[in-house]
Amino acid sequence: MPAISATAEHPAAARWRQPLAVVQARPYLLLAPSLIFLVLFTFFPIIEVAFASLFRTAYGQRSGSFVGLDNYLRVLQDGAFRNAVLNNLLYAVGTIVPSLVIALGLALLLNESSRFKAAIRALVFLPTLIPLVAAAALFSFIFLPGIGLLDHFLAKLGLRGFNWLGDPDIALASLSVLTVWKNAGYYMLFYLAGLQAIPSDLGEAAKLDGASAWQRLRHVTLPLLAPTTGFVAVIALINVLTAVDHIVVLTKGGPNGATNLLLYYIYQNANEFYDLGKASAATVISVALLLALSLLGLKGLEGGAARAE
Amino acid sequence: MTRMIGTLAAAVAVTLLAAPASAATKIEFFFPVPVEGKLAREMANIAKRFNAEQSDVEVVAVYTGNYDETKIKAQAAMQAGKPPAVALVSANFVLEFKLNDQIVPLDPFLAAEGTNKDAFLADFWPALRANATVDGKLYAIPYQNSTPLLYYNADLFKAAGLDPEKPPQNWAQLIDYATKLTKKDSERWGLMMPSEYDYLGWLISAFTMANGGSYYNSSYGGEVYYDQPSTLGAVRFWDDAVHKYRVMPEGVTDQKAVSSSFFAGNAAMVILSTGTLSFVRENAKFNYKVGFVPGNLRNAVPIGGGSLVTFKGLPEDQRKAAWTFMKWLSSPEQLGSWSRFTGYFAPRQSAYALPEMKAFTAQNPDALIAVQQLQYAQPWFATFNTVAVRKAMEDEVQAVLSGKKKPEAAVKDAQRKADEIMLPYVQSTALTVGTGG
Amino acid sequence: MPSRILARLGPAQIGSAALLCAVAFVWTTPFLWMVVAAFRPESGGSRDMASLLPPLQPTLANFVLAFESADFALYYLNTLLVVSGILAVQLVTISLAGYAFARLEFAGKDILFTLFLLQLMLVPPILVVPNLTTVVRLGIYDSLLGVMAPYLASAFGTFLMRQTFKTIPRDYEEAALLDGARWWQVLWHVLLPLARPGLVAFSIVSVAAHWNEFLWPLMVVNAPEKRTLTVGLASFAAGAEGGQEWGLLAAGTLLVALPLVVAFLAFQRQFIDSFMFSGVKG
Repeated sequence: MPAISATAEHPAAARWRQPLAVVQARPYLLLAPSLIFLVLFTFFPIIEVAFASLFRTAYGQRSGSFVGLDNYLRVLQDGAFRNAVLNNLLYAVGTIVPSLVIALGLALLLNESSRFKAAIRALVFLPTLIPLVAAAALFSFIFLPGIGLLDHFLAKLGLRGFNWLGDPDIALASLSVLTVWKNAGYYMLFYLAGLQAIPSDLGEAAKLDGASAWQRLRHVTLPLLAPTTGFVAVIALINVLTAVDHIVVLTKGGPNGATNLLLYYIYQNANEFYDLGKASAATVISVALLLALSLLGLKGLEGGAARAE
Repeated sequence: MTRMIGTLAAAVAVTLLAAPASAATKIEFFFPVPVEGKLAREMANIAKRFNAEQSDVEVVAVYTGNYDETKIKAQAAMQAGKPPAVALVSANFVLEFKLNDQIVPLDPFLAAEGTNKDAFLADFWPALRANATVDGKLYAIPYQNSTPLLYYNADLFKAAGLDPEKPPQNWAQLIDYATKLTKKDSERWGLMMPSEYDYLGWLISAFTMANGGSYYNSSYGGEVYYDQPSTLGAVRFWDDAVHKYRVMPEGVTDQKAVSSSFFAGNAAMVILSTGTLSFVRENAKFNYKVGFVPGNLRNAVPIGGGSLVTFKGLPEDQRKAAWTFMKWLSSPEQLGSWSRFTGYFAPRQSAYALPEMKAFTAQNPDALIAVQQLQYAQPWFATFNTVAVRKAMEDEVQAVLSGKKKPEAAVKDAQRKADEIMLPYVQSTALTVGTGG
Repeated sequence: MPSRILARLGPAQIGSAALLCAVAFVWTTPFLWMVVAAFRPESGGSRDMASLLPPLQPTLANFVLAFESADFALYYLNTLLVVSGILAVQLVTISLAGYAFARLEFAGKDILFTLFLLQLMLVPPILVVPNLTTVVRLGIYDSLLGVMAPYLASAFGTFLMRQTFKTIPRDYEEAALLDGARWWQVLWHVLLPLARPGLVAFSIVSVAAHWNEFLWPLMVVNAPEKRTLTVGLASFAAGAEGGQEWGLLAAGTLLVALPLVVAFLAFQRQFIDSFMFSGVKG
């Protein structure tokens, strides 16, 4: 029997052995199509924005003059900016936590294939399919004081409604309700996928050990869902910081700045106040914030995925 | 030989008979639809009619959202190097466009036709002239205009023992009637007025001017009078209506809520734009009436609406085409028919002398009351960085309406914020000794 | 034994079913209202606008008005072109990039991956002005191509494909390589078929996201015949000086939302299954 030496090359391998340079260039060639668009529409604009943040066009001047970090100082000193940051924090907590809890709860309840559960899954997912402007349009009626949907049904229960979008104390909470309604079904899908990946024997083993449903949840399911939670939390955080269509349609940052969020602050400064320097500086700050938080979340995600593998 | 001549003859004949290659200049017209969706369709029809009537200019009418979005889109298009030829912008943004050096004066076109700004504007309602001119030059042609108007539910008036033919004439009566009309248990408010961004600034300026004040300096974009007694009195009136007399709901109410409440019978009197008149006429299921907005020291209402402007950076043929279109669009007949269709005013006085307009106002007396209020009309608030300066006041008043601030503190803070915003402009104009002009 | 099963079908099951029904009802109430109000006459004003009971005399008047106000058929076509165009190119870019990140080692891999992730956060609304200038420079302003351009590379898709590829055991590829397959044949014949759930999941997300995109199409396109659905809907949500026609609003919203909802309801099993099995668990 002819022996194939351990060091001899498999004949097929010889056919696809290519010059080292080509092999080494391959990853970059594969990335090239994506990178072209990323450079054109993400990185180059960022550089332009970062550059713009160092200039300020005073009234009467034709073009901007270099002001160094002055725009950043103006942004940080602007009460409206600090207000927007605070609002974004409240909005983030007020939407991410309920969304995740509802998404997880629904996923746990709906993690079976029955016609009934499939129907409920579909219904809960529907809000994701409509544009945010459309959702905002619907909710403009729901939140209408007195005759709107919410007040109508509260009246049937004998309760007074509030000025949902016109009371500075609750406007942000009302918008949070809209956001949770829109996104919880989407996050539920991720949790469903995550639950599918958990081997059922782990749950069975825990049950045989006498663990209650709650204990099984806490000690088996939740830890194994950590990567999913990390992933969904990052998606939710990005949504919180980048989706302001509903503010544009419903409140325009009001009343009295109660629903002003970072991106809307940027949009306002750029388009309504013509302060491109300030808007650019605020953009850079927001992006840096986003990056930091996302990297934190993703580190946790990668760690969780590694552990799971 | 004969065949060659034949072919040649045929070729010549074809050339002679071929239609001359007419290059109709194509221009874009950005317009917002602040009133109703079907107006966008109507505007497209108007453009079609214009295109059909002549062959020099081809207009592409582009719907660009509301006034704010139109402004953003026009400016973005400018920055991208492709400004529209004509845009319909909010009448009080004209100053801003001019200060940002984005629009061109129309006087050269008038001069070429042997007329001038004053002669041209003579036909327009006096109150519209201030917003259309900057530094003595004409920068815009008013196209559609409105003022606030008092709408009230005649049936509810009768039920409360009030005479529907006698609307409130002043602030004291406004509060008095509102108190009689407010019914807490049936969720009915005596008075509702929109208080969201843009509307609120408009109405506060109305009340300030009705209180004897001017609210802002209409000749200079760097001065506002937020902390003057006339303004303070107006803000106090709103505060008292909500918190002292309890005839108006607390917090911010937008115009959708106000109009919906009016139709549902949850608001007995409302102050809304005249632009809402056709909508009210078509949808109110009860007897409604309109009246002048009550004044205090005098009657005064600001104008609202939109004007036509043309932008810098256009090639010469597009600029000429733009003027042709603007002139046609602002003729008395066109303004009249748009006014009848939308419920806006026709900005030209002569439009109301036309037979169709006369018939229309005869059939719709409420439209006539709106026109009669024009004798009290004042220009619309416009300054350097109008939106930011307007919001400086609006945020404060919204805080007052929500019970979070007192009027005295609010107007002071508003003035301070506004001054801060206008500082760059003020520093390079009024506070600089320059060569003038 | 049977009694235990019956007990299992007892309070807990019924309780959870009731809870689910309640949740589903609350979640769909806005849509219920939308459907009912779209067919209700007298859209201008009535006390019962908020009623969820169907009208006694349903009317198509609101839809007629909606179609009069905007060219919906054309908007549908444009939106369809935009989302399919974007998806077609995205499937190519994300497969190639996802493969590179999942299977290949190269210098700067981590940095490049982080750069990709940046795109997740830097959505077009923040970068409208510079992107508009770029689009003009490329000569695609006021065109559907201009609407599609910023989205043709997708960090989300790349990330998803990377995760999906990573969960596929290497045995399949190695077997194919040993059989003499070139790398692109491995990708096309082995990896992509196995990654189908991920691709389907991504396609759903991409289509839904770009169907619903508003600000960017509004800024890029001027010509009325190139407008998308969301921009068409905006004219109903506006109405600063006029009254609000709620019936018209409901009808317009219904028209915009309908295609995606119908598509989803028709294919929901495939949709949800693909999500479950795509390896998108984190």
